[in-house]
Amino acid sequence: METHAHGPQVIVDPTTLNPAKRTLLLNGALAGDETLEPVEEALLALLREERTEIRGYAMRDVPLAHCQGCFECWTTTPGLCKTEGDAGREIAAALIKSDLVVILTPITFGGYSSEIKKAMDRIICLVLPFFRRVDGEVHHSQRYPSYPALAAVGVLPAPDEEQARIFRSLVGRNALNMDCPVTAVCVMEAGTPPPILRDSLAADLEPVLAHVGGRVA
Amino acid sequence: MSALRVVLLVGSARPPGTGNSEALGSYLLARLAEGGMGTEVFHVHRCQRPEKERALFEAVGGADVFVLSTPLYVDALPYLVTRCCERMAAHRAAEPQEHRSRMVALVNCGFPELEHTLTALDICGVFARQAGFVWAGGLGLGGGEAIGGKPLEEVGGMTRHVRGGLDLAAEALLADRVIPEEAQAQLARPMIPSRLYTTLGDIGWLRTARKKGTLRRLWDRPLG
Repeated sequence: METHAHGPQVIVDPTTLNPAKRTLLLNGALAGDETLEPVEEALLALLREERTEIRGYAMRDVPLAHCQGCFECWTTTPGLCKTEGDAGREIAAALIKSDLVVILTPITFGGYSSEIKKAMDRIICLVLPFFRRVDGEVHHSQRYPSYPALAAVGVLPAPDEEQARIFRSLVGRNALNMDCPVTAVCVMEAGTPPPILRDSLAADLEPVLAHVGGRVA
Repeated sequence: MSALRVVLLVGSARPPGTGNSEALGSYLLARLAEGGMGTEVFHVHRCQRPEKERALFEAVGGADVFVLSTPLYVDALPYLVTRCCERMAAHRAAEPQEHRSRMVALVNCGFPELEHTLTALDICGVFARQAGFVWAGGLGLGGGEAIGGKPLEEVGGMTRHVRGGLDLAAEALLADRVIPEEAQAQLARPMIPSRLYTTLGDIGWLRTARKKGTLRRLWDRPLG
């Protein structure tokens, strides 16, 4: 385990047997919230079974300026956010070089936590400003030839069907806009016992785990 | 009896006076002011210091109507808006509000279809309920870049239906009703036909890049 200049935890498993496959894990736990820790542990265990290289960011420890909505990453410094000196460019690079991105977040009003959003807002440099149509709906064209698979694990303090539905919808929209080849979502409650937690993650994330592990789901 | 009060929070990080979210929110605010409401405007990127944030929370706490007008960032509310909502909900939970406030959200996006905004509007609805507001409804707008950050009246006939929808929303809020479906139906009518909008948008990016001398680098893949 290494400590990065910007403060995030970087997890590179030295025993990895399949280093060609890379996973980026963004942990969106808010300050003082430790309820995601057992979920992250279970996630890491599952990912290690797939022998993928794992790079993780605890976003609350990563200083990141907010997206200014200036679109200069499209027109002035194409493909790069103009903001330098924080981890924005590094996270965008890690994302596009990954085979799988895992978003672990407390579900906040049905969406991602602000700690995840501060990273997500900074990755629009990964697409082009130009438009394309997907099933009759307009989206941005792709800058890169391929994009990572997307897994999202949302943790609720208590069962909430409405927020779970919104969360699944949000992940689906992200996957559509990022042209993700495979997508999986897992919604669970904080405090789920470890055996159930692991089984839920394994079942719900199987398509993306198989993708990064090079297995047939 | 004191006048009813409305607080507008602009969720765009663009400088005041230049954003589409502000243009939409300001139009609605003006209609509410004509109906006798007192108004106050905050910009979320200017509410990061504790004293500014506190002023926002206190103003919202004393308001009869809280309007959030925001752009869509990556299919949801922008980071600064999400953070503000988290902190406002925590603040209101810690200091229970005696004043009954209603909340309305306006979410605009750069894609022609308003369907892109629906998830963000759902998020706003959950926030409103969790933070103790009475949810008065949300309005989504596609093709927001056509406004160009100008006051809606200045943009002209293209925004006729947008203004019509916001007029209906203002009428409803002044009458203590939820925003009617007809208001959203008005905003759903495209300002510019979709294919023309995307064509003009693509040309616009090329022209901007040419001016900046980056035309040949627009498709660069610096991180791949």
